[in-house]
Amino acid sequence: MAFGASARLDFGDRVILGLVTALAILWLAPIIWVIGLSFKPNEVLMRDTRGIFSAPFTLKNYTDIIASSQVFGWMLNSVIVALGQTMLTLALSTLAGYGFARTDFPGKRILFAIVLVGLAVPEQAIIVPLHTMFAAADLHNTYAGLIAPRLAFPFGVFLMTQYFRGVPREIEEAAMLDNASRLKIFLKVILPLTIPAQATLGIYTFLHAWNEYFWPLVSATKPEMYTLTIGLAAMQTNFAQTEGIGFLMAQAVFAGLPVFILYLFFQRHIINAVSGRVG
Amino acid sequence: MSLTRRLAAAALLGVGIMAGAPLDKALAQAKTEITFARFFGACEADYGNSQDYKAARGECGVMTALVNHFNATNTQNIVVKPQVIEWGPYYQQLTARIAARDIPTIAVMHTSQIGDFVRSRIVEPIEEDLKAAGIDVNDMTPHARRGVTLNGQIHALPWDTHSWPWHINGALFKQAGLVDASGHPVLPKSVEELMAHAKIMKEKTGKPYFIMASVAPADAGNGTRSFWTMLAQQDASLFPNNSWDKANFSQPEVRNVYAVFERLAKEGHITKGLDGAGGLGGFIAGNAAVYLTGTWRIDDLIAASARPDTGLKDYHARIFPNLFKTDAVWADNHSWVMLRGGTNPQTRAAARVFLKYLWDNNFDWARGGGHLPIRQSIMADYAKLPQRTNVMKITEIGRSLPHDVRRQFGFQSLIGEEINNMINGGKPIDQALKDAQDRADQLLSRR
Repeated sequence: MAFGASARLDFGDRVILGLVTALAILWLAPIIWVIGLSFKPNEVLMRDTRGIFSAPFTLKNYTDIIASSQVFGWMLNSVIVALGQTMLTLALSTLAGYGFARTDFPGKRILFAIVLVGLAVPEQAIIVPLHTMFAAADLHNTYAGLIAPRLAFPFGVFLMTQYFRGVPREIEEAAMLDNASRLKIFLKVILPLTIPAQATLGIYTFLHAWNEYFWPLVSATKPEMYTLTIGLAAMQTNFAQTEGIGFLMAQAVFAGLPVFILYLFFQRHIINAVSGRVG
Repeated sequence: MSLTRRLAAAALLGVGIMAGAPLDKALAQAKTEITFARFFGACEADYGNSQDYKAARGECGVMTALVNHFNATNTQNIVVKPQVIEWGPYYQQLTARIAARDIPTIAVMHTSQIGDFVRSRIVEPIEEDLKAAGIDVNDMTPHARRGVTLNGQIHALPWDTHSWPWHINGALFKQAGLVDASGHPVLPKSVEELMAHAKIMKEKTGKPYFIMASVAPADAGNGTRSFWTMLAQQDASLFPNNSWDKANFSQPEVRNVYAVFERLAKEGHITKGLDGAGGLGGFIAGNAAVYLTGTWRIDDLIAASARPDTGLKDYHARIFPNLFKTDAVWADNHSWVMLRGGTNPQTRAAARVFLKYLWDNNFDWARGGGHLPIRQSIMADYAKLPQRTNVMKITEIGRSLPHDVRRQFGFQSLIGEEINNMINGGKPIDQALKDAQDRADQLLSRR
């Protein structure tokens, strides 16, 4: 809706527009506050955290982050882990979803039920056996150790299964009449139809992997293997909430920046994916 | 690129990632490298290249400069490699590292935590190591030595004592008339006197007597440290008859402490709804007379009181006054431990050298880090620092929970949270005590 059309809005539309605008301001206010605080000296914020728009300002909180010799290494680790996890999750969930939706094999129903049960198991409940397993395999402090535990993603399998079930069988049957193999049908016919679902799952997985804290905390214990979330948290002093608020806020902005830039580039796809629209 | 090719490329990249890991295998070094797990933050921008630990300020600054200086000057080819971890989940990560056999050579540990690790046989005695390093264990302050001693054996090198003083805005005390002939703040000697002083403070200045952060999870420790202090001042124990598996919140002494907070809250003598930043900022702005926080804030508050644009004037640090019958105050220590399986003969020898270096430079940690030293022989120098003579006695009267008490950080949370519930939510004292009892029972029932 263009702003030029606002004159033609009826009363109901105006009310909705007003509410949405108010909601947007409500959502933006803490973000603006965080950004504002990140440009304030810590010693000033120790005395008072109000007045974010008044001098003095500083870039020191950001230069302190960038001055860390490891911060870009941590960022690279996060990129590798998040991208690796996203791509492999998509591949696995798509294949599993297709299998559950379109093929018959012994124990399919039980296996799918197990996947569904997986949706209800909280991450914390399996952290100890998972950690022990990866320790036994000597996979801690490796990219494989950071990526692999999240690849078995029940939500992804469930989402893709449901999506494949929604694709009309007639499309596949038409391809079969042309003597196309199942693999060819999957890759050339069915897979392109699932792009919206894959986009949704991909964004969800990437954001989850990027923000992940708990597993990297216990798996990546060597500083050179920290992801950005762990590395930035490690930089905080013990009393950062009182003596390093500006630095804390700059860390939040810094960690969120890559995702924000990603959003700027792909916002149309992201909105489509989140709203479930195709194309 | 076709979809098939894109998928193939993605799969190849994934396989590449797996095959390439681990990428962290360092080349073998001629030097002896020891790993040094700690919190205290990272501050490369200010201290990344600094070796001047005598001029460094703050925990992070002193620690970073100390390690830099050691790495640059030791003659035994030892390289200390810090592994900096966030304070909050530090012990969870350390436990995970031990389980994964990724054990640091030296690790920082609160002495309140050592008991759990000793019982798990993860921390072992190091008295022989300390003696071999040339560390005179008899030079340790009484509280620090108690903190690292279990079953009669020293299990860690203490690094500091930190405690729970009263930070005082002397100007507000003067305004309220709560000063002696020399103009120094007069502190209460009983709970009734405390309430009377608080009433006078409110009437004369319009300000609450106490300011304390009480809303964030990390703020739970504030009420708890006051709780342990006042319980120890009554010579009471939360675990009567040394029944370490059963806390007793129905004792009158426990109720006495909770009642202090209930009265303070009901009569408006303690702030409500403040987080850490709000508490510190509020005290510096002159919004209350006494700030309840740790010894680590003394230097910041001295600096703040020297500024003309703050409401904090005539700052004093004082030991938490005895409101009952015995001089006592909560205290804990940071210490250095060597974990079982974390060393070989070569790294253990190197660790001893580094521990001796830390011992020798304990004064600068206390000076710049805001804690009390753990060596009796440097107390005289420490006393020359501003306000420190007022709190030095903590190294003698400091009290910690016995090492036999399990999950001490868990207690810190539940006791303080119930106190904060009374302050901020008006939870009745009976309910707070009952909830604390239930939570304590649950905490201790887990094996």
